[in-house]
Amino acid sequence: MKLSYSSQPLREVFGETLVELGGIHRQLLVLDADLNTSSRTVLFKQKYPDRFIQCGIAEANLFGIAAGLAAQGYTTFPSTFAAFAARKALDQVYVNIAYPNLDVKIAGSYCGMTATECGPSHNCAEDLAVMRSLPHVKVVDPGDNRELRAMMHAMMAKPGPVYFRVSKVNAPELFGADHTFEFGRGHLLRSGRDVTLVGTGFMTAVALGAAALLERDGISAAVVHMPSIKPIDEDLLVRQARATGALVTIENHRVFGGLGGATGEVLAREYPVHIDMLGLGDTVFEAAPLQDLLRHYQLTPRAMAAKAHALVQRKRRASAA
Amino acid sequence: MKHLTPEKSRALADTAFRIRRLCLEFITCAGWGHIGGSFSEAELLACLYGGVMTVSPHAPDSPARDRFILSKAHASPALYAALAIAGFIPEERLFTYCRLDGLDGHTQRGQCPGIEYSGGSLGTGLSYATGLALGLRLQDNFASRVFCLVGDGECNEGQIWEATMSAAHYRLDNLIAIVDYNKVMAKGKMSDLMPIEPLARKFAAFGWSVIECDGHDLAEICCAFHRAKYLEMNGRPVVVIAHTVKGRGLPEAEFNYHWHTHSPSVPQAEKFLAALNRTYERNERFSRPLSSPKDGGLEAVVTADLTPA
Repeated sequence: MKLSYSSQPLREVFGETLVELGGIHRQLLVLDADLNTSSRTVLFKQKYPDRFIQCGIAEANLFGIAAGLAAQGYTTFPSTFAAFAARKALDQVYVNIAYPNLDVKIAGSYCGMTATECGPSHNCAEDLAVMRSLPHVKVVDPGDNRELRAMMHAMMAKPGPVYFRVSKVNAPELFGADHTFEFGRGHLLRSGRDVTLVGTGFMTAVALGAAALLERDGISAAVVHMPSIKPIDEDLLVRQARATGALVTIENHRVFGGLGGATGEVLAREYPVHIDMLGLGDTVFEAAPLQDLLRHYQLTPRAMAAKAHALVQRKRRASAA
Repeated sequence: MKHLTPEKSRALADTAFRIRRLCLEFITCAGWGHIGGSFSEAELLACLYGGVMTVSPHAPDSPARDRFILSKAHASPALYAALAIAGFIPEERLFTYCRLDGLDGHTQRGQCPGIEYSGGSLGTGLSYATGLALGLRLQDNFASRVFCLVGDGECNEGQIWEATMSAAHYRLDNLIAIVDYNKVMAKGKMSDLMPIEPLARKFAAFGWSVIECDGHDLAEICCAFHRAKYLEMNGRPVVVIAHTVKGRGLPEAEFNYHWHTHSPSVPQAEKFLAALNRTYERNERFSRPLSSPKDGGLEAVVTADLTPA
């Protein structure tokens, strides 16, 4: 399957969808910490300057103000880089937003390795793990532009805190115009018998590429796209575990506590099978262009195919024994 | 360094110019970098590494050295260039900026001699510097000073003021904060986004000695640092508020937040060098032919793997 890639980066869709939602929901406010032309909340600022609140380079302040406004009946979208939402202002996110279950939609921009040249201080391989561990917070990572837009509409329909990922990446076009998003629902993009490759965010493109490579080697790989990490689609994971007996996950995140961790938690409890995970190990995403980072950290179709290949061998050896 | 001789003054001006020229070169080659904040701090770094600080490339870890913390770590290019000029790293190393195994986009502690602090998350450097200053005090090191260069934008962060309070409480007169007060943040003017005035009165109210200077005037800077280092040992930390111009030296970039994070194309870099030469009445060239990289991103990586060899 040949993927095409959008010429419009995900962050642009984020900005445009904020404008769209702002026209529908008068109680929607957008908050910034001096990053609006990077995150693209600038589009909302231009359209609705009265509903755009600048909090300065002060992320603790950003999330505190967003929480207070939410307590006054607003739906707030505080936006900063994922690194500063998940690492710097974690206490405000927990105490002021998650724990009281307020209607705050946190956009983590430049997530994972997509702060690229900014290096380890801005690249954030922790946000899914951190946010997933907080009470009440739903955690999602869109696979393409359509899904991001659908996701933002879905979060407006459901009060409560959401953490969602945005980046400057030109995402693959995974879905058609009829695509819908539901919290807790994954998508089987391709069926297969030998192994299931599970991706989240734009990394699903790598999983699809790996499946194509495996097919050349005679291995039949299913591909699941899992935009909703919390809640996660337990039924789909269990179904795939039963059908293929082996799963490999891939994420733009550390292998601790994100998609791989969530998948492992479900299957260890419900249906243990062979699992392997691709993502960042116990290190940092260094400063470099995206293409170099993907290759350096072995987050490529070839690397994923190799991992899946090895896992299938292990499964076969185990069942022969 | 209290009074500049004409020779010293020329040497520091040369350093400041070279910092800008080198930044322009390697930022263009990296395709990424912060020109605005690097150019506003060029004279400050030229003075710090040109005689104000007690540091040596031959003993970069000497316990007796002065410590330098770049809290506004996004402006690392000017620091890397200053370190290259001072002999801490070879100039060639600058051209590894933002590449794998190269110099980080923000500073990374221990990545090269002279880099003491892993930065990038704004507002965190002054607490770290306070810890260093307190540690020196606990070790009875009265010779070393800690210099911490803080951005004006990051003075929005509460942690800056937590550090300010702590340093005053511990009477750390071995700590010298420098504010690169260039009046422009990442996405606009400070006065529009989140003003910090009255800045001098804020620091004074927190119990600090305050010195203000023109952050591009070498004589004023050296005089301010001399006072901070030797004449203000009165039990209070010192802040030098250096009034600067973001993007100083490039008319197109001055006070222009577009050039906060932005790298020029090669033809643009040529124009910028010409502008720098006009501003500082020089006639220098780039040290090498420049090229700007292209990041094919996700698509390039996936496509390459799926293309049969």
